[in-house]
Amino acid sequence: MKKKILATLLCASLAATLLAGCGGSGNDASSASSDAATTDESKPAEDNTADDADAATEAEEDTTAVATTGGDYKFEIIVKSYQSSYWQAAVTGVNQKAEELGVTVNCTGPNAESDIADQVNMLNNAINNAPTGIGLAACDQEACLDSLQTAMDKGIPVVCFDSGIPSAPEGSVLATIATDNYAAGATAAENLYPALKDKIAAASAPVRIGEVNQEATSESITSRGLGFIDKIIELAKADSKSVAVIGNEYYVNNCSDKGDEASADIIIEVAVPAQTTVELCATEASAILNKADTIGMFGSNQVAAEGILTANENLDVLGTDPETSILAAGFDAGSVIKGAITSGKMFGAVTQSPLAMGQTTVEVLTKIANGESVSDVPTQGYWYDSTNMEDASIAPNLYD
Amino acid sequence: MSKSSAAGTQNKSVISRLGGQKFIVLLVVIGLIIFFGAASPDFRKYSTAMSILDYSYYIALMAIGVTFPLITGGVDLSIGTGLICYSLTGGFLIVQKGWPVGAGMLVALLLGIIMGLFNGVLVAVMNLPPFLATLCTCMITRGLGSIFANRLGISWPTSGTEGSWFRNIFKITVNGTKIPLGFLWVLLLVALMAFVLNHTKIGRYTIAIGSNKEATILSGINVKFYHIMAYVISGFFAGLAAIAYSAVFSTVQPGTGAGFELEAIGGAIIGGVSASGGVGSVEGSLIGVFVICLLKTGLPYIGLQANWQQIITGLVLIGAVLIDIMKKKKEKD
Repeated sequence: MKKKILATLLCASLAATLLAGCGGSGNDASSASSDAATTDESKPAEDNTADDADAATEAEEDTTAVATTGGDYKFEIIVKSYQSSYWQAAVTGVNQKAEELGVTVNCTGPNAESDIADQVNMLNNAINNAPTGIGLAACDQEACLDSLQTAMDKGIPVVCFDSGIPSAPEGSVLATIATDNYAAGATAAENLYPALKDKIAAASAPVRIGEVNQEATSESITSRGLGFIDKIIELAKADSKSVAVIGNEYYVNNCSDKGDEASADIIIEVAVPAQTTVELCATEASAILNKADTIGMFGSNQVAAEGILTANENLDVLGTDPETSILAAGFDAGSVIKGAITSGKMFGAVTQSPLAMGQTTVEVLTKIANGESVSDVPTQGYWYDSTNMEDASIAPNLYD
Repeated sequence: MSKSSAAGTQNKSVISRLGGQKFIVLLVVIGLIIFFGAASPDFRKYSTAMSILDYSYYIALMAIGVTFPLITGGVDLSIGTGLICYSLTGGFLIVQKGWPVGAGMLVALLLGIIMGLFNGVLVAVMNLPPFLATLCTCMITRGLGSIFANRLGISWPTSGTEGSWFRNIFKITVNGTKIPLGFLWVLLLVALMAFVLNHTKIGRYTIAIGSNKEATILSGINVKFYHIMAYVISGFFAGLAAIAYSAVFSTVQPGTGAGFELEAIGGAIIGGVSASGGVGSVEGSLIGVFVICLLKTGLPYIGLQANWQQIITGLVLIGAVLIDIMKKKKEKD
């Protein structure tokens, strides 16, 4: 009996240590983010506190002073996940703007972008909290439709960011703030194709361009994937080359022209792993990179692009010279992709502006709460490579 | 070392003399290599072998560890999400807090041991069913990983940057040729743990607990201690797997890892660990893992879509469990 009590105590103390550990890092996190927010806020808030002499309470005073401008608005923000630093940048943008406008935001998101059911649950919980508005980056285009109807019935406005929901019930989504993903995917093709053009023209046998997409369910990923494929088809046809698209059924059936593999000059092979993880993306990428006729590669988000780079660790086939290596284009930023572009492993990538996207989402939600009319805000994707990474228009979008 | 045939029957068949299920599975591995090699010329490249080995280390290490709880008749479902949790925590301390890489690795190992201890106490002392206990710690580690790492994806130092020496533990380049050093470590650890399983008290009692727990208790052995040790070993190897995973892959993502344990457990069971405990070998588990890894890497080469890969792996697993059941039936007759 004594032993059992001892064991219980041991377990309890273990659990307590674990909890204490997580409590600790949790505090770190919140203090770190509020630090960042305060620094960012110090400028616009200065005017309000001009006659406030007490430096110690300055920060707190600032917040209350600004809060009056935003009213008692409470927004629920749901991101796709916290898997990549991309989302961290978006959440930073959300928090910055919320602080600036003096509104309250609560950010949540599932653990992984493939946890579609979890996200729907979070959305339903958010609706039950009856917030002033909801900002949603949907993991799945279809899964949220019922919840959106409920939100509309309850009079809660929803703003989509990052990914739109094209089939949303009319009037439920008031605005979409998203990169034109189709155009952004095409941007990758526009920059990759010219580099491969000579090789394609000189080839005596069909050549292969691979594409790794982490899934085939979200609007952002599928649009990018299709944007890239359709642009390659368009550019190749202008050079009177024929293209065939093979691999994942969704992309094959939804591209502009899937062509005929037997007679095509260029084969676009689309791979989609079973789960949105780097190691499965890497396995899929290895299989394509290992083919002798592969000349180009596109990974349509951070996970897919890093999967390609992981595969290359063993294959060593990527580079910037089309004669001797395979040219890979990525999407988004992060230290791994940026490093690969600097060192000439990756040809280039398309980046979005998640920080601005997060900021705009809160801004648009506040406008709606104020009764102003709003409309969709398209944001851009920018091509970057080793030559323009330092440019003033590009650098701020290259988060770590 | 032929542990797989528990009963000491007089007239062993050729197969069981050669190692029983292990031998059959080894033939399957060779068969798979020949099949994929014949079906796809790209598969025959040296780089493919390197990729298969690279992507196998973390599963193999988990499988070595999880063999012990499996032999006790239990299971450890927390190793997959645990791996990600330990890797995120270690990586977070290295990248965000500026800790030396070695210290981060040590933290990953320590966390693995602590989680193993926690699992062991839940199972052996509190008498929770292993499936439930480790399912709970699986969820706990999944959440903790995200919290420890501030919900950020973490990239351990990438090759070529300062602190990336740990990646050379698993792969070095000599005159432009990559050497899969990690495979050597895996083999050494398999040999070590096979010795532990067969020739030390920890191992012998692990098997005893799985064969007949009541009899083991009655013989006066401190069953609780050895039962806990099985889970500590599993946790420790999950910590090692975390280091291997961080060394091979660029970014560790919070929220992932669920499903890794099934590849390790599946490998162990294909390799002859009995799903009901008492029987199994570490070397068998390693061979079983390669069936899973070959399928995972090989199927994309013959143009099979991702979902089919999962179905085929599942079917192979059913086959392995059926062999186990039939073997048991034969022994009874």
